Amino acid sequence: MQSIAVLPAWNEAPRVWSAVRAVLPFADRVIVVDDGSTDDTAAQAALAGATVIRHALNRGQGAALKTGSIAALRLGADIIVHVDADGQHDPAMIPELLKPILDDKADVVFGSRFLGKEPTGMPWVRKAYFHAARLFNTFAVGIPNTVTDPQSGARAMNRHAAEILDFRQDGPAHCSEILRLATRADIRWAEVPVHVRYTKDTLAKGQSFGAAFRILWELLIRGTEK
Amino acid sequence: MPIQILLIASLAVAVMLTWKRARERVIRIHEAVLWSAVWLIAAIVILLPNTTTTIANLLGVGRGVDLVLYASVVALFFLVFKLFITVDGLEKKLTDLVRRDALRDLDKHERS
Repeated sequence: MQSIAVLPAWNEAPRVWSAVRAVLPFADRVIVVDDGSTDDTAAQAALAGATVIRHALNRGQGAALKTGSIAALRLGADIIVHVDADGQHDPAMIPELLKPILDDKADVVFGSRFLGKEPTGMPWVRKAYFHAARLFNTFAVGIPNTVTDPQSGARAMNRHAAEILDFRQDGPAHCSEILRLATRADIRWAEVPVHVRYTKDTLAKGQSFGAAFRILWELLIRGTEK
Repeated sequence: MPIQILLIASLAVAVMLTWKRARERVIRIHEAVLWSAVWLIAAIVILLPNTTTTIANLLGVGRGVDLVLYASVVALFFLVFKLFITVDGLEKKLTDLVRRDALRDLDKHERS
């Protein structure tokens, strides 16, 4: 079973080397999708031992993940893991994400920040935002409310699921879109608890409330297209 | 009234431009006819403002000016929405292009 981790990275030069290094022990191969960075991201990622793909223009996290996933499939991946390149995901969780797939109990596994393991340093406003997003997901997007984390960026899927989950949101709305596709398609999905570190760095790059409204707008405009 | 003279003058320019473009085959004849009709209706509304009041009353709206305002808001809304859809389509095409380019590099990379 070949597992390939996909890390979308946009201007992450200071963090991408250590992010790749941290993920490498848990995956057979790491693909970094440099999403049109203007800094040294691509070189740093290659230096750390990742296969680097470059978007000539910044197209968004969702677009980068999609490109990386297609590349992983072409490289013969049996399992694809999505991780953030900014180091907020603890790569030690990857085996937990993979376990239900390896045990043939699920086709796609989502890491949830709200299943037992309390995130470290998550501001209460952000928690409130996630709960609001969960409500919106249930009522407007149609994702079952048994899904505890509406914007989970950590997920793993087998080849079969990766081929079915044809997400098209270029921006951060892809999280909700993938959840919608996964919970509606004829595949088995599961959530496992993951631990996330919120630091000044990751918070600065995180989603603002303006971005949250953008996600709502994109989901309303494009989310129901298919 | 000066405003009427000003608006009619710009409408005349619009009609002339429309047919100039039609002769240059930038727009098709039926498009030119359609636009001319729009300019004609505008001219009627400007010269005989009471016509809008008559139509407005038929529709149950008090003043003609209000009817024109309501209609413009609806028209603008549709135009903006159409633009959003167009831009969204372009964004998708751009992503597809960037992706194809990125993956071509991967294939090259893997072969070497």
